[in-house]
Amino acid sequence: MAASEGATESNLRHAFGNVLSFFILLLIGVLAFSIRLFSVIKYESVIHEFDPYFNYRVTQFLTKNGIYDFWNWFDDRTWYPLGRVIGGTVYPGLTLTAGTLWWILNSLNIPLSVETVCVFTAPTFSAIAAWATYLLTKEVKGTGAGLTAAALLAMVPSYISRSVAGSYDNEAVAIFALIFTFYLYIKTLNTGSLLYATLNAIAYFYMVCSWGGYTFIINLIPMHVLLCIVTGRYSSRLYIAYAPLVVLGTLLASLVPVVGFNAVMTSEHFASFLVFIVIHVVALAYYIKGILSPKMFKVAVTLVLAVGLVVCSAVIAVLIAMVASSPTKGWSGRSLSLLDPTYASKYIPIIASVSEHQPPTWPSYFMDINVLAFLVPAGIIACFLPLSDASSFMVLYIVTSVYFSGVMVRLMLVLAPAACIMSGIALSEAFDVFTRSIKCQLPGVSQNSQIDVGDSTSGSVVTQDEVVKTDKTEDSLKERPSKKNKKKERERERENVEKASIKTPIQKRLLVLPLESSVIALLLLVLLGAFYVVHCVWAAAEAYSAPSIVLTSRSHDGLHVFDDFREAYAWLSHNTEVDDKVASWWDYGYQTTAMANRTVIVDNNTWNNTHIATVGTAMSSPEKAAWEIFQSLDVKYVLVVFGGVVGYPSDDINKFLWMVRIGGGVFPHIKEPDYLRDGQYRIDSQATPTMLNCLMYKLSYYRFVETDGKGFDRVRGTEIGKKHFKLTHFEE
Amino acid sequence: MAIYARSTTTHLFLFITLLSLTIPVKPFSSSDPESILSELLTRQSQSQSGVIHLTDHLLPHILSPKTPRSFSLIIFFDAQQLHSKTDLHLPSLKSEFSLVASSFITNNKDNPDHKKLFFCDVEFKESQNTFAQFGVNALPHIRLIPPTAQNLKQDSIQMDAGDFSRLAESMAEFVESKTKLVLGPIHRPPLISTAQLMFIVAAIVTSLPFFAKKVIAGETLLHDWKLWLSGAVFVYFFSVAGTMHNIIRKMPMFMADRNDPSKLIFFYQGSGMQLGAEGLAVGSLYTIVGLMLAVMTHGLVGVRNRTVQRVMMIVALLVSFWAVRKVVVLDNWKTGYGIHAYWPSSW
Repeated sequence: MAASEGATESNLRHAFGNVLSFFILLLIGVLAFSIRLFSVIKYESVIHEFDPYFNYRVTQFLTKNGIYDFWNWFDDRTWYPLGRVIGGTVYPGLTLTAGTLWWILNSLNIPLSVETVCVFTAPTFSAIAAWATYLLTKEVKGTGAGLTAAALLAMVPSYISRSVAGSYDNEAVAIFALIFTFYLYIKTLNTGSLLYATLNAIAYFYMVCSWGGYTFIINLIPMHVLLCIVTGRYSSRLYIAYAPLVVLGTLLASLVPVVGFNAVMTSEHFASFLVFIVIHVVALAYYIKGILSPKMFKVAVTLVLAVGLVVCSAVIAVLIAMVASSPTKGWSGRSLSLLDPTYASKYIPIIASVSEHQPPTWPSYFMDINVLAFLVPAGIIACFLPLSDASSFMVLYIVTSVYFSGVMVRLMLVLAPAACIMSGIALSEAFDVFTRSIKCQLPGVSQNSQIDVGDSTSGSVVTQDEVVKTDKTEDSLKERPSKKNKKKERERERENVEKASIKTPIQKRLLVLPLESSVIALLLLVLLGAFYVVHCVWAAAEAYSAPSIVLTSRSHDGLHVFDDFREAYAWLSHNTEVDDKVASWWDYGYQTTAMANRTVIVDNNTWNNTHIATVGTAMSSPEKAAWEIFQSLDVKYVLVVFGGVVGYPSDDINKFLWMVRIGGGVFPHIKEPDYLRDGQYRIDSQATPTMLNCLMYKLSYYRFVETDGKGFDRVRGTEIGKKHFKLTHFEE
Repeated sequence: MAIYARSTTTHLFLFITLLSLTIPVKPFSSSDPESILSELLTRQSQSQSGVIHLTDHLLPHILSPKTPRSFSLIIFFDAQQLHSKTDLHLPSLKSEFSLVASSFITNNKDNPDHKKLFFCDVEFKESQNTFAQFGVNALPHIRLIPPTAQNLKQDSIQMDAGDFSRLAESMAEFVESKTKLVLGPIHRPPLISTAQLMFIVAAIVTSLPFFAKKVIAGETLLHDWKLWLSGAVFVYFFSVAGTMHNIIRKMPMFMADRNDPSKLIFFYQGSGMQLGAEGLAVGSLYTIVGLMLAVMTHGLVGVRNRTVQRVMMIVALLVSFWAVRKVVVLDNWKTGYGIHAYWPSSW
């Protein structure tokens, strides 16, 4: 009788907890969405920066012409005269997602424009990513940690920087895909269900569609499998989680045109095949162990090991031969620069020139993951106590991603979910301990219930230990008593009261901390959380919401808005012929095609180094030579961005040295020292004659002296070197 | 026999060198081009790497045949006393140079090209005249003397710094472009020699069964979770400290103050750059808070003594609070950002 009453109460409690979690998740979703709207509120609903304009243009094409035309689209408006096969060279995930969203909304008679859908795709997917984080963390450490991690991820600045409204880029959906793939992998690992394994392969497919970062998944999961095998954690669940993923995942990945046969040919994927072989050998060994007597098994082990080693070494030899025969050893430049961080800066200026490929310093971590940087070590330790398959995966994830983020600041984005999950676990466990300590020692609570609470938690740890040992995790998911922890301490307290009343008392020592110090610790943690929220909102509002296509500056007489970019593109669109070619540095390629609808020579998809170098050479040549180069490319207009009047620092003069370097990399007559005076880049009267006569200087500073009479450049902070000159081969 | 022949030529041309100082590189029709070529080949084969060691006496002798000579010379100017200066990279450049030389010799063993280019080096201490003749006053310096060169200083071509930046490969490109000879691929010696490689493979193969047995028994170092734990925390510390940045950018641990050289700067203001000590300090601040928290939630709860718990908790909280505060202050100082709550008053 008492038992059934207890069961009803426990069911009720679970139901209540689930409803509460649901509403908390809903709120987290709203938070994730709304914190990213600062850009729309402060500026307007526009697409941001450079790459998103290309994605937007592709999406427009998709919605107008349908999927088949999109797949076969040859774009002649870019990389003139080469053109570009868009369908075969983009990751179509983002475009297809936004296109589908638009199509669904339109079928429901909600007439949103393509641009609106594109602007709000990223915030929507951030909310979904927060939910995926909840699922993943729940699989690792229970509901409480899951909710905390989801709340942290909803506002982590690193992710906000890539997913504010208008930032319509691959990463926006890819981070969701990444987390969801990991969730399904862990879910399969915990349940051993083939259904989840298949879903996992499909989620991986979505990730491959969305972002080049999928190679992180296809290397991390094999690493984890290998780790499990080496540390003696092999189980049939591991096999089910891994083997279908490799087979189905690779088949599906090669369906994406931009990946194609790379999925089996490049060495980024070789690790997964190698581990695929290893896991089969190990599976065979375990199988034989199961059907043979221990004595026979010893004999068999020798045999299997011998055969397995021969097979493995043969395969390794083949792989090494294949890898060694390719010039870059089969690794693409970007991946190589992760393993050998000095590689890119030495050999590939086009990679080294991008600011997001630089290694970060410690303030970057504080800016991008803020106080999570403090909490992660605690999360790592919590994952080791006790170590399960799932938590070992999380440890591996945080360690690899934190290393990679140290090499390339852009990969901070991959670190962010891991840091959120780890901090979520750490915070949840800390809240758990502190609130328990407070609850049990509050005056007025009977000694009896104190002991009960102590039991319940220590009991839960024991259960988890047993679970790990007996490899019956699927059962534990239902039994696991860790549903008790909730995000807010009040809920936790209430739950602990409830829990205390239903647990059978076992005499054990109380696992609590002193009351008053627990209160202080709790206060400090809440303070830390509050600081995180303030920082995130500040980052979202001030640091990451500028669309960089509209500029604002604040001065004593109020706010100034510069809309020069869009004015320039509109000018091109209204005043030039439809077929005219416009030359500019590659940064502005995507925007020119998307906003001005004119053909460009190079754009942000930097696939052809020679072509970019040609433009770089033209910009760094004297007028006549530049005119000849541009004439050979049918160029009628040259677009340069100059910020010396208003003080806009990322203009072409500041990017000019990279044009020289990239140009010089292909055309040796362009030499960097010719543009430097004693190793210093300057444009004032000390500048070299080569510098003062190159096309970029002339186009930028033509009639500049007429603005203020002196030719004072507000970005460089000097007067320019050559003030009065005429253009001979170009006209303004 | 060979030694004898060499010493006579040296004696003979001691006299001519003295002459050549007064009239820079006047061609000496007296020496036979064929014999000089064969002498060069002998010297090349005597040298281990195929780089001929030149002296003040030898060089004029070699260059004595009438222009156009049948061969080019490429000379590496070396100075033993500067080998210790790390920023000149002389030893590494020299080994790259000899690598190009030996690769050229092995690649062109069977065709007549191997008589058209000779790699030489000159040591500053013993051949100061040569340095003066070429007007070399800064190292590293590599010079190509084409067959047509009459005046050593004006007609020879100096290799740019850019041409040896990518080591042997770019040196080879330079030589190929200037001499129109084909050098072929560079044969770098493998990192470990074949014998060593065989030994390592053998060692691995023999140890594999033992290792496999241990793995199956589950008692290797890899099964010790404490090792993994400390490894994971260390990698975390290593990365958040920005150590990769310091390695890639070759940042020093600290630097001297520009205004006051006697003072040292450990913290650099400006977010684009950091110093080594600075990174390590902040990295440990990042890490210590998490460790303290973990100690409190996982370690201290098990301690029986209430006073110990209390004291340790207060210490941990104080340290954590101090660390977080310190990082916030440092970050605001370094980046200049003022993080503030967002109140949309007006815009």
